[in-house]
This record gives sequence, C-alpha cells and structure tokens, in this order.
Amino acid sequence: MAIKYMDKYPKNVALRGWILKPFLTTFKNMIKTTIHRPVTIMYPYEKEWIPDNYRGRPGLVFEKCVGCGICERMCPTTCIELVEVEDEALGKVKRPQVNVGRCMMCGYCAEYCPVEAMTVTPDYELAGYTREDLIYDPYQLKWENTTIGMEVHLEEHLPSNLAKGVTDKPTAFYEVDRPKLIGEKCISCNRCAKTCPVDAIEMIVVGENAKGKPIKHPKIDDSKCVFCEQCIVICPKDALEINEVL
Amino acid sequence: MSFSDWVNISDPLANPNSPYGVTENIPYSVGSGLWEIIGGILAWIINMIVPGNRLSPWLISDAVTNALGLVLMVVVFFAVIFIVNLTMIWIERKVLGRIMDRRATRIGPLGYLQCLADGLKTFLKEHIMPDKADKKGYMWAVSIVIGSAVLIAGMIPLSPRWFLADYGTGLLIVFGIFAVSPFMILVAGWAQNNKYSLIGGMRAAAQMISYEIPMLLVFVSVVLMAGSLNINDIVQFQMDNTWFIIPQFIGFVVFMVAAVAEAERIPFDLPEAEAELVEGWQTEYGGMKWGLIMLSDYFRGYVACALGVIMFLGGWALPFMDELVIPEIVFLLKVILLFFIMVWARGTFGRIRTDQILNIGWKVLLPLAVLNLFIVVLLKMGGVF
Repeated sequence: MAIKYMDKYPKNVALRGWILKPFLTTFKNMIKTTIHRPVTIMYPYEKEWIPDNYRGRPGLVFEKCVGCGICERMCPTTCIELVEVEDEALGKVKRPQVNVGRCMMCGYCAEYCPVEAMTVTPDYELAGYTREDLIYDPYQLKWENTTIGMEVHLEEHLPSNLAKGVTDKPTAFYEVDRPKLIGEKCISCNRCAKTCPVDAIEMIVVGENAKGKPIKHPKIDDSKCVFCEQCIVICPKDALEINEVL
Repeated sequence: MSFSDWVNISDPLANPNSPYGVTENIPYSVGSGLWEIIGGILAWIINMIVPGNRLSPWLISDAVTNALGLVLMVVVFFAVIFIVNLTMIWIERKVLGRIMDRRATRIGPLGYLQCLADGLKTFLKEHIMPDKADKKGYMWAVSIVIGSAVLIAGMIPLSPRWFLADYGTGLLIVFGIFAVSPFMILVAGWAQNNKYSLIGGMRAAAQMISYEIPMLLVFVSVVLMAGSLNINDIVQFQMDNTWFIIPQFIGFVVFMVAAVAEAERIPFDLPEAEAELVEGWQTEYGGMKWGLIMLSDYFRGYVACALGVIMFLGGWALPFMDELVIPEIVFLLKVILLFFIMVWARGTFGRIRTDQILNIGWKVLLPLAVLNLFIVVLLKMGGVF
C-alpha cells in the first residue's frame, strides 16, 4: 500500500516529512501567534489606528468657513448644499450641509476649500436609523478634535511653472483664475460686492453718467479673492467672467 | 442539643455501610463529608423546631450518610470531569484559534467561560422536533448517545483513590459502551427523516464500525501484555515494568488515529461534515439537545484520550518514580496533553474522503494493529514481560 502510494506521487512525500511537515507548520504558527497576538482585530471593542488624514466623513470648522460654496460646486456626488443658519455668534451665515448617505468620502471638499474650513475626519461609523439622520447639518459636521493633519491642501501648479521647477503655491493674479470685469456691461448694481463672501470686491467710482450719478465698477482685491464664482453667478448682466490662466 | 452535636465530620472509612470498605476514595470522603454538613444542619434546624423528633437522628445515621454521600460523590466526580471537559473545549478553541491566526474565545478570564456562555445560549432555545420525525427514536437515540458518553466518562478512574467503581472487567466494559453510540447515531439519523442526517448516520456507522476493529485489536494486545482487564492492574503493570508506548508504539499510533475517528473529530469528521451535510446526523437536533450532543462529543474525546493514557502512557504514574505524586492531576494533565495532539491534528489536516477513510481503516490500521498484536505475542512468548 505504502509503496503504491509513493509510486503514484513521484514527489516522494515520505522523504519530505509526510504528515509531520504540516504538523510542524501549524505548530510554528501557533507559537508565533501566541507570542505576537493574532492579526484579528475585535472590531467594535478594538479599533485599528487610523491616521489624521483618514478619508472619513467631511468635517467643518464653523468659524473658519466663509460660505463661498466651492465645496458645493466641487462635490462629485452633489451631496453638499449651502444652507443658511442662524448662528449665535456670527448671525445669519451660509454653511455647507452634507448628505453623508450619498457622500463617497473623496475629500475633494476639504481639498478645494480655500480657507481650510472643510476637513476630513476619522469618523467612519455613520449608520443612522433614517435617511434624514444621514443629512448632517453644519453643527453636526463639527469635529471637536480637528488637527492640522485633517486639512487637505490642494497642490495646484501651472504646467509651465512645473516645467521651470517652481513648486511654490501660485498666488499672483496672472497665475490663478480670477473674475474679470467687462466694463461696458456693468450696470453698477453692487450685487457682486454684497455677495462676495470674503469682501474682496469694492465698488469704485469710475465716472459719471448723463444724469450726473456716479458710475461704480467692482474692483477685485486679488489677495482676498478665493475664486468662488459667486459674483459671476449673481451678476444680472454677465458683466463678470472667468479669466482662466491655465 | 447544640450545633456541634449534629454537625461533626467522622471518618468515612469507619462507616460500616461504605461500599468501598477500607479503600481510600476521595470523592466518597468528600461526598459523605458534604452530607454530614448539609444533613447535620438540616437535622439541627428540624430539632430546633420540633425537639426530640426521630427524623434528625435518622438524617445523620450511618446508612443515610452512606446513601446520600454516594449521590453527592457522583455529583463531585461528575463536576470534576465536567470542568476538565470545559477546559478541553477551551483548549481546543484557543489552540485552533492560534493555529488559524485568529482570536478564539473572549468571555471570562482568558476566554475560559465562553463555552458556559454558549451553553446558556443553547439552554434558552426552544425545543423543536420535526413534524415527520419518529418521536421515540428521535429522543431516545440521542439520549442514549449522550448518556453512554457520560457513563463511560464516569467509568474512567482518575487514580487508585479517585474512582466510582473498581471492577474486574475494566477496559472491556468501557470499550463495550464506547461501541454503543454508532448504532444509536444510525437510529438518530434515521429517525429524523432528513436526508442529511440519514447520510450522516450511515457514514457514522460505517466509519465507527470499521475503526472499532483496529481499536479493539490494540486493546487486546494491551490486555494481553498486562495480563488483566482491570484498569488499576494495567497501570500497576506499567509502573512495574515500562510504559506500553515503548514496546507498542505502533499500537499507540493506531489507537490514536482510531480514537480520533471514534470521537468524530477532524480529520475524520465525515458524519458531521459541515461543508457537505448541513450538520451531519445532528441536523435536526436544535437547542440544548445540540449542546448536549456537542458536550457528549467532548466526553467521548475525553474518554478516548483517557484510554490512551491508561493503556500507553502509564496512567497516573510519573516516569522514573515508584510512588504516586498527586495522581489525579498527573492523569488529567496527560489526558489534556493527548487531547492537545488531537486538536493539533484537527488544525493541521483537512477532512478525509469516505473511501479514503475506509481504506485507511481496513488496509492500513488493521494490518498495523495485527502487527502490533504479533509483536506483543512475541514479547510475551519471549518472556520479556
């Protein structure tokens, strides 16, 4: 019987330890996992260490946010919506509200936030009892232990700059997109200045019309502008347009 | 009369009704001592309520102490085996977990109380019986499977001073009752009226009957070498000469393989092949019936290991020592060592096919067992033992 068995299997199992070899393997594994603990993590009781920039649900630093709406426009799944909230300290402000049931945790909102108010958080236990539970209003989006590591910075460079080897973040007006005024269309309505979330627009008198009233044109402060396009969207006569530099 | 007149612990060996005579028996001593405390307190309370009654002296008389001491002795004996079994289940789960690189048990210190928690869970389940099952066969077969497992576990002495009965037929009757359960498993598989349990029962019967034969041949060679069926005599013979694992190493290996098959453990767990048959012959048994079947599996595993220890590893004796040192603990440690090897094999091997199992049983183990018997006969005739 045994000889037949060895004829059948040319790799001679008897010479390779036969059943003793698997015994040895499992014994080694047992010793190893007894000394160093098994790889299993008892999930609800123990949790894996997660880094600060773990792509959990979006978080919001309420005070930093300017309500520019870039996150709303940027969101691939359109789960972010700007809502007006009545804050005790800040008054009536616009802040993002996130439907985490639809959120795919890509972190684009945190990446594109100009003031780093949107962050990613390590919070991934998001189950709720109803679909309404999953819509997080701006106050629910707050995350107490927000660290600097949870901010996601956008590294945006011009291809021409990269070719030159310049890696500093572009800030000059001719390097980033900015709204541009087409002067003859402007009707001095002041709406862009009112809507600008960072007060970058100032109305400047550029002349007088036939009735002697001043003609005001918006002047954009490049150091403040975050290019949120709200002024472009709100302009009734399409007098503002995007000046794309890329 | 005061409290100390009722509750006083006397020497159990002096009890004229004791079935053990003057032989020291620790469970009996513990049992009768327990009754002397419990019955003494009862008698004291009854005597306080009704002074001068005849019930109180009767409760602490020799005859009643002996009778209820025997009952408590069985409880003590069973409790020890039960705790050993819980430890074995714990060892199995822990070792398997470590071998498979995963966590094993969690409840209690080091996860020791996990199987108690599982037992409580199964205890709370509903009693369910299939509509078309054969009611009598369904209940009686499984009762006999469980009962025979517990019975043979109670028949194994832990030491010359820790036993229920010292009987001359010894190992023979243990093996006889060990062989009862395959038939009852077949009956249980048939009675459930379920194809999985029927196939499992058939497989159990085929496998167990074919592995009985090499096992009994090994048993015969051990008995032949020791010249006695009595367990004490076999162990005493090994203490006087040498452990039987040295002259009968082939027999030891054959016995262990056959014992794993008899206890329906991986790699010979075809009757309960979880991947093919749902739960094998136990498919339709739910709740506490299932829990007791599991427990009886471990009792059978314990008995198989204990028989291996008694027959080959010198029972409760330590090597190179003539006197016994805490023999019960030594015996149980040896049992747990053998059980660890069974668990190790379970973690190492996959399940073996039916035809391979029968081939191994009839074509490998049976010739090896006969060879072992032949060696023993030669040794006996040569006058070595």
